[in-house]
Amino acid sequence: MTSSLAFSVFGVDWQFLKPFIVIGLAFGGVYALSGVGLVVLYRATGVLNVAFGAIGAAGALIAYYIVNHTGWPHWLAYTICVLFGGVTNLAYGMIFGPAFSRRDALVKMMGTLGLALILLGLMAWRAPAGGAFARFLPLGTSQTHYTILKTSVSLTQVIAICLAIAITAAVSVFLRVTRLGTAMRALANDREASAMLGVPVRQVEAAAWFGSGLACGASGLLLPDLLTSLDYSALTFLVISSLAAALIGRLRSLWVTLVGGLLVGVAQSILSPYTNVSAYRSSAPFVLAIVALLYLSRRRVVTISRATT
Amino acid sequence: MKVSRLVIALTLSVALVASVSFAASAASSKAAKVGSAAAGAGKCGLGNGKKATGAPIKIGGIDMLIPGVDFTTIGKTAKAYFDCVNDNGGINGRPIKYILYNEQLNPAQEAALARKLITSDKVVGIVGNTSFAECGTNWKYYKSKGYVVIGAGVQAECYSTPSFAEVNSGPRYSNVGAAQALVKAGIKKLAIASPDTISAYADGGPALVAKKAGIPVKIFPTHLPVTDATSQLIQMYQFAGDGGGILIDFTPDTAPAFMKAAEAQGIVDKVKWGSSTPIANTFMSGQFSPEFDGHLWIDNEFSNVDPKVGPDSALMFKILQKYAPKIAPQAFAQMGFLDGKFATNALLSIKGAITAKSYNAAVVALKNQKSDILCKPFYVGKLPYHIPNNTNIIVDYKDKNVVVKNGCTDFQAVDKSIAQTRVWEKQYHLNGK
Repeated sequence: MTSSLAFSVFGVDWQFLKPFIVIGLAFGGVYALSGVGLVVLYRATGVLNVAFGAIGAAGALIAYYIVNHTGWPHWLAYTICVLFGGVTNLAYGMIFGPAFSRRDALVKMMGTLGLALILLGLMAWRAPAGGAFARFLPLGTSQTHYTILKTSVSLTQVIAICLAIAITAAVSVFLRVTRLGTAMRALANDREASAMLGVPVRQVEAAAWFGSGLACGASGLLLPDLLTSLDYSALTFLVISSLAAALIGRLRSLWVTLVGGLLVGVAQSILSPYTNVSAYRSSAPFVLAIVALLYLSRRRVVTISRATT
Repeated sequence: MKVSRLVIALTLSVALVASVSFAASAASSKAAKVGSAAAGAGKCGLGNGKKATGAPIKIGGIDMLIPGVDFTTIGKTAKAYFDCVNDNGGINGRPIKYILYNEQLNPAQEAALARKLITSDKVVGIVGNTSFAECGTNWKYYKSKGYVVIGAGVQAECYSTPSFAEVNSGPRYSNVGAAQALVKAGIKKLAIASPDTISAYADGGPALVAKKAGIPVKIFPTHLPVTDATSQLIQMYQFAGDGGGILIDFTPDTAPAFMKAAEAQGIVDKVKWGSSTPIANTFMSGQFSPEFDGHLWIDNEFSNVDPKVGPDSALMFKILQKYAPKIAPQAFAQMGFLDGKFATNALLSIKGAITAKSYNAAVVALKNQKSDILCKPFYVGKLPYHIPNNTNIIVDYKDKNVVVKNGCTDFQAVDKSIAQTRVWEKQYHLNGK
């Protein structure tokens, strides 16, 4: 290489690694976006929602239908995809949230697993994978490219990274300066005391379910473009990466969740050129999540939810 | 309060089911868009327009269905062909009952299904099988029972044992044809990707072609379903370099992810693209930007998917339209059509009782079976292995259509079995020569 930046990282030329970093950051942005949604919901309701991937996938499938089989404008399809996430999440939270409110975190999580499996079953039933053709949900932004440090970066990738940062910042500010945000933080700190002090628990929970669902819907919209295919099973299980990000953030810190998401994305992607380990790169979220869990155990952080009013 | 919550729950559940179902139906309705059948189509079986009403003749099949690969299209099209035969006099008045099972790349399941078909379902023949592993699992069993499967092969045992007569060339030889064309087009390096489960066999052939031409080659075994096509494609491009060749060997469920990634990365026109057969159809060509036009060397094991090619092609379009409207006309449909056609020909050639013994003897006796879907006639014969489809064409995309780049050409005899097959063809006049 002629560039002054020519050096190798564990035997792989830096120039070769750059595209993988960009791809990883974009995926990481989406993981972080979902992860932030997971953390907000967990903090407000005590529910770790593992149906995020399935809800996002179902929303993407609806957008796919609208784009390919109706004359509706694409922006409307994308909006519906995001809103589907919010509304489905809200509906689940309002219907099943009260029933699960006095159960521990594991039971609450299993409830969302049920939702994930129902959605997965519906998608497998009505849109079976395969059929000897593929589905795509490309965004117009993937046609716009920039060259940064001699590396091609699409506008979708830029949006994924910037949206994650913007949403993390906005949610952080929201939690600090608004009444609803203060109420959410109060619920997270002490649910019973908050209720006794007049915090409207159901309304605050509804806002958390809806808001986190929107993040999930946005992730469902971005991922098919980044993956260059709409594979609902792959989208459903990408929630694992978001969970890893949330765990790295100890289900508390939004900014650490953001960093965790980006870390998971980059770790997964950057292993690609390393032939000896690339086959194991899909396990990167698991490894990082396990490390995070071990760290949590070391600090004796209890993640079991408290009973609600 | 409880009642109203229940009502809300039910309403929202129905809305959820409806919305997902509504969206999901996109898949099937999109696949249903097929071209209209041309006039002058061939006939199904006896072609007399009379519905068969006698005792059914049982035929079975096993197709693999895993995330990222759907081979059931082949069996479903064979069934569509049999349905057409049943509406046209059947096998001298008797309808064919086709029993199709799916397997999930599970050898235990494959073995159990083969035994179920033969011992429980008591099928007289097995037709339309396609899997990454079923040939290897069941060839000895089929041999012990005297069954010769007419199917579409993938792995080595489909082309190296007496139990299978495949209508297709399979991924190894289709990749050989594509690599051969890429080398001829002047590539300097070659990167090849196939599903990891078949990579050693499927990619080994084209790698031999490249090595023989003195071209550096690198294989990228790919785990399915592909979750990050862009990363893998970048690795392949980094190896192949500008002007190099990238050969992808995936079904229509997976190949588009790589091609869309190439569009997104802006590298479509920087390399020469090779592919095995599955993406050689207008349904696929319609999904990509015109950037790919002129940059593709797709090996097609069959004639172009076009009703104007001849009576069998026209018939296939008609059959799909009437009996399997959800299946798009493409290579897997051609395979299923040919499986159905040749099995029907074998059944119709039987004089006397139709049993497993008489049917499989009729299959072995098949030779010089002409079809405009094939470059040269299909045959079976009493041979230690069968590779009847060893002449392919090369196609490209142009204006959302598939166009022929090179006509019927023998693919390189990278294995001794190919050279031996061509000797047998002449020696026993298997395809009329």
